[in-house]
Amino acid sequence: MDQSLLIALVTVGVLFLFLIGVPIFLVIGFWVVGVSIAIDFTLANVGVTLFQGLNFFGLLSLPLFILTGDLIASAGIAQRLAKFAHACLSWMRGGLGMATIGSCGLFAAISGSNSATTATIGSIMHPLLIKDGYDSRFAAATAAAGGTVGIIIPPSIIFIVYGFLMNLSISDLFIAGILPGMLMVIAMQGVCWWMCRKNGWGTVTPFDMKCMLRTARDAYLGFFAIFIVIFGIYSGIFSPTEAAAITVGFCLLAGLLITREIHWRNLPNILLRSGQLTGMLAPMIAISIVMQQVLGLLGANEAVANFISWFGDSRILVLMLCMAIVLAAGCILESLPVTVILAPILAPIAVASGVDPVHFSVIFLVGAAIGFVTPPFGLNLFVASGVTGIPYSRLVRFAMLYMLGLLAAWILIALVPWLSLGLLPK
Amino acid sequence: MSYLLGALKWLDRNAERTLILIAYSSMAMIIVYAVFERYVFSTQIPWSTSIPIYLFLWVTWMGCSYNVKKRTHLSFNELRQRMPYKVQFACMWLDALLWVGFGCLVTYYTVAQTQLAYNNFAIVQGTDNVMLWWFYLATPVAWSLLMIRALQNLWSDIQRYRKGQPFLVDTQTVGAD
Repeated sequence: MDQSLLIALVTVGVLFLFLIGVPIFLVIGFWVVGVSIAIDFTLANVGVTLFQGLNFFGLLSLPLFILTGDLIASAGIAQRLAKFAHACLSWMRGGLGMATIGSCGLFAAISGSNSATTATIGSIMHPLLIKDGYDSRFAAATAAAGGTVGIIIPPSIIFIVYGFLMNLSISDLFIAGILPGMLMVIAMQGVCWWMCRKNGWGTVTPFDMKCMLRTARDAYLGFFAIFIVIFGIYSGIFSPTEAAAITVGFCLLAGLLITREIHWRNLPNILLRSGQLTGMLAPMIAISIVMQQVLGLLGANEAVANFISWFGDSRILVLMLCMAIVLAAGCILESLPVTVILAPILAPIAVASGVDPVHFSVIFLVGAAIGFVTPPFGLNLFVASGVTGIPYSRLVRFAMLYMLGLLAAWILIALVPWLSLGLLPK
Repeated sequence: MSYLLGALKWLDRNAERTLILIAYSSMAMIIVYAVFERYVFSTQIPWSTSIPIYLFLWVTWMGCSYNVKKRTHLSFNELRQRMPYKVQFACMWLDALLWVGFGCLVTYYTVAQTQLAYNNFAIVQGTDNVMLWWFYLATPVAWSLLMIRALQNLWSDIQRYRKGQPFLVDTQTVGAD
């Protein structure tokens, strides 16, 4: 049988497996095996790469930042940051809702996970939002939308995966995510303010400087952790792995000795939860490396070059196409499979058309992050539904409003490269 | 005999959990201590950048097996949730067979790699006597365990099918609890 026909059959076969709900790791794995057999390439490569593919010190920041997220949630640091955000914004209409989004931004600056951000901030703020007169569905959707910045504001687990797969500096990616993450927070806060003003949700209290300073003092542990991550990486003093290690050590000591909300007996569960998440992410990275190798053997690079030639020199057209693909994929997939499957295909296309690779990584991952609140598969909506007890389908309408704000921010991030590249060291 | 059964039951409950805890905590402690040592004492243990990577292998593949056990690997299950009961049951069979099939392949080739490291007396970089195969063993051991977990899940699905109970076809939100 013709080789191309075999490859096409294998691809259709694994697409079918994907649609009937076979785990995505297996879908990619069987595509690799099928295509390797079709092109007569040794299967030993699968074994060797699953072995050697993860052999990179920089990748150790992944399990450490996952652990950091679980530690700050357990240590009560997130709660203190949320109180500070509320004290800063309570004088505005919708201040508590905006504080929820702001808290997500602050939490995201220590943790690197969207679901951890949504679950932690959602469980803290949702009861307060209801008490303050917010619609319960809007309150839950606010936490879900706020969680999207979890993977954009550094540190970010998905930036580590992207940097590792695409051979980009993880420090650069982290720095590139700072301004876009802040822009996303402002865009969502704008939506929240508008909705609260329109519906009269929430109470307005006069600005209290003393209260703000007091909550800022209480939240010093969180600020210090943010300082370690952002300043450490930005100044080049720490590598991402070192920053992650220091943050883990700091959050653990803070939780055990200062806030005393982490107990020795809880540590195994915290580690196991982080281990479970690592055991989901890292195998996907390993198998996607094998997929990249097979794509290389199939001559994907030449195909990409041919594809680009159809569009001439239109950078904007290529970007729009890539963004549409990422957004569509984000509607049905979680950010990790979107990244491991599409980044090796789309990034070379975008870079060949003249987009900076770091800028494209931010565009790509903001798109993947928006996918967290887009139905039918909006992971953050499921998480928010889980922590608030409000059915998924009832959150969707309000999440769509936030999605509009996020889309506006995304387009701005795509059109203004400075937002991603402006803070990078020259 | 009862000791053996007891040990097997304990392993069934705790194998991944114990290995993840040991590997994860050792990995984190070594890196944290190495960073502290480098900045405070301006020195560094030679193996502090190699052993954590190999411990990461144990965390990764044991975590992979644990996710199979808990059925928390990422998948697109919107359609499966809406499938007729019998088709869902067929999909459960397919999942198990695919895990076992892929597992056999991975185990076969990673055993060969481990054996190579064993035969060559390969040691971990920065150490004098820590054998590399101790860490390489992570992949075949975890994948063997993973195949057992897939078959255990299939067995529980068959039991559910016999009793007419619904299958576990939920959306994964690991790390969200």
